[in-house]
Amino acid sequence: MTLSSERAARWPTVRPWLGVAARLGLATVWLVAGGTKVGDLAASGRAVNAYQILPYDVATVVGAALPFVELALGVLLLLGLATRLAAGFSAALLVVFVAGIASAWSRGLSIDCGCFGSGGQLAAGQSPNYGPEILRDLGFLALAGFLLIWPRTPLSVDGALAGENTLEDVDE
Amino acid sequence: MSSRKGRNEAARVVREQLARERRRKRTLWTSVAAVAVLVIAGLIGWSIYSSQRSDGYTAPTGANDAGTGVVAGSGPVTVDIYEDFICPACQQFEQASGATIDQLISEGKVRVVYHPVAYLDRFSTTKYSTRSSAASGCAAEGGKYREYAKALFEKQPPEGGAGLSDDQLVDIAAGVGLDRDGFASCLREGTFKAWTEHVTEEASKAGISGTPTILVNGQQVADRSPEGLRAAVEAAGK
Repeated sequence: MTLSSERAARWPTVRPWLGVAARLGLATVWLVAGGTKVGDLAASGRAVNAYQILPYDVATVVGAALPFVELALGVLLLLGLATRLAAGFSAALLVVFVAGIASAWSRGLSIDCGCFGSGGQLAAGQSPNYGPEILRDLGFLALAGFLLIWPRTPLSVDGALAGENTLEDVDE
Repeated sequence: MSSRKGRNEAARVVREQLARERRRKRTLWTSVAAVAVLVIAGLIGWSIYSSQRSDGYTAPTGANDAGTGVVAGSGPVTVDIYEDFICPACQQFEQASGATIDQLISEGKVRVVYHPVAYLDRFSTTKYSTRSSAASGCAAEGGKYREYAKALFEKQPPEGGAGLSDDQLVDIAAGVGLDRDGFASCLREGTFKAWTEHVTEEASKAGISGTPTILVNGQQVADRSPEGLRAAVEAAGK
């Protein structure tokens, strides 16, 4: 057996557990992101407004709704319910976030991304972290991508509804 | 023989079709449920935020016409100062440049509008930004905004803690010569909480995303040192 075929033989046993890790990892990201913002919805609106993309009134509504949507996505992924849809929604949201940060960067704004709480303009002497923030979001995007391609993972409501034949109908 | 094999084959195909149909239905319904959860979550956030907002506000004595800040001085150049009483950089600004601002006011060069915004409520466990800003409204009502603000910066609590208690806020007010009982009831009744919200919202609308932010005739000043401020005011006064 060559090394690559050995790997290919191991993949079907490893993949479901990688999927669980990706699902729970992404769930944690959303729960933390939503949890740090949900206590101060006005501040969340200000963080959205600081990007200077949306009109103020729209930004406050987006800022108020976003933490709850993030928490809901976290719960869906934690349960493994409608995993592919939740992963797709996560990916779309992350693409929007990356675009927002890139846009702030290109316009020379000096803001905190507000990804996990805080947000708004940085204190004097602090410099923005746009590069690492975008890389981090791309990492999260990779988790979402994995779940989009292979949404069926063990220990999930989706699996339970399907009769726990986790490996039988993975390609649905 | 071959016909039975054919029937088995046909039955298998039918079974598979039924199974596919069940899977399709299941996916559809879980998707509908998940989308509903996400939409409802968003609506909950929106409705909580809307219910938190106050309808009207009362600005304290000495506020500007827009009710977005407290005015000091009447010089030709307008200086806007956006400050949050828990923000360490605001304390540093007060210590470094507060005296220069007072001087510019007494020289009749500037009209200063102080905007006590509550941007940093999450940096204390008791929403100290909002509480201290509303308290500064009570002080403005008693004609001592500046004195009170200076005292608040002097006794600034660290970020991440509970901030100063309401009793401490009252003690500080009494310390700068405000009527203790009147101030205490103003603070307790939250007379200027809605005003704080108004000040904060209008600052955010004006594109002020951090504290301290200093505007001289509407232009943001990058150099907030005494020399930088004087230079900006001189330039704007020409």
